[in-house]
Amino acid sequence: MITCQAFRSRLEPGSTDVEVLEHLRSCDACLDHALQIDPDNFFRAIGGGELEPPGGVDAFASDVMSQIRMRQTEGSVARRFLIAPRRLAAAAAIVFAIGLSVVVYEKANKTAPVQVAAAARPAQLATKPVVETYDSKDATIVEVPTEGKNDPQVVMIFDESLPADL
Amino acid sequence: MAAELRLMIPTKESVEPDDRQLVQTIRNGEPEAFEQLVRRKTSKVYSLCYRIIGNAEDAKDISQLVFIKLWENLDKYDAAYAFDTWLYRMVTNVAIDFMRNKQSRDNAVNSNLRLVKTVTDAEQGVVVQRKEIENVFNAVSSVLSPKQKTIFVMREMDDLPSSEIARILGCRESTVRNHLFNARKLMQQQLKKRFPEYSRLWEERT
Repeated sequence: MITCQAFRSRLEPGSTDVEVLEHLRSCDACLDHALQIDPDNFFRAIGGGELEPPGGVDAFASDVMSQIRMRQTEGSVARRFLIAPRRLAAAAAIVFAIGLSVVVYEKANKTAPVQVAAAARPAQLATKPVVETYDSKDATIVEVPTEGKNDPQVVMIFDESLPADL
Repeated sequence: MAAELRLMIPTKESVEPDDRQLVQTIRNGEPEAFEQLVRRKTSKVYSLCYRIIGNAEDAKDISQLVFIKLWENLDKYDAAYAFDTWLYRMVTNVAIDFMRNKQSRDNAVNSNLRLVKTVTDAEQGVVVQRKEIENVFNAVSSVLSPKQKTIFVMREMDDLPSSEIARILGCRESTVRNHLFNARKLMQQQLKKRFPEYSRLWEERT
């Protein structure tokens, strides 16, 4: 640190000289003189120098590191909880997809016969009408004998003039 | 021979990595190096926090919070910039947030405080006076906004140039100078009102 004499000779208003400021902040004897030269030294006098936190640097650093470790542990637990819902969501999505495909499949199976039946009925009505009477010169009609009263009677008609699909 | 041997023994300065190297070591997966960084920067961070906040316990809590934030954001540090500038930015952000949340409550308490000058013997008188300046500062600086106080502390007590303060706060140098001008004006008004014996210092100059 510079001497009081050097300080007083070098001190100027608004000085940024590191040695001058160091002296200002540590020498009580020169404080009044410094304030007379520049009143702004009033607050400047309490600056400079590095302070230590209560309990010292070692205790402070240990506190910081233990808090960081604690946060890291909390973070890993939180991440684990975060992963579980993700897995649950993925499982739910798979179950939903399977369920949906089953429903669609079943719906498709139910509707297909209905569509076929609906298509077949008008075709049956249009192309194969029930023939109750038949009269033709060229036809050969054969009645198949029945075994009981409840059996339907089958009649075979052979006629070359009839359409092929009848 | 002894001199040669001395040269071969690495000195503390040559072994200790600089801030950027230390950050890189932590990023490379050596979290133990962070403790070294904390020890290195504790006094710097705590001093600034204490001068901005004006309370030892709060300053300690805020300093710890700064280092936790530093740990969480270390991967965001750009080594192209000075580490201390980045660290100071973090300190000022956390301290200003704290002050904003606490200021209204503290103002009510501080406005009722009036320092009583301690009468002591000649030897102790000057020491008490220096301590009293600290108390006066804590009292009159309560009228400043958190940003004004932060700038005033960095300029007048930490001796940082306006250009560096502007870099830390991410604003223009002219903004820093304006805040400084207003801070001085407000504090002188407060001194005149509450500590006229000290405000005479400025009046005599003008």
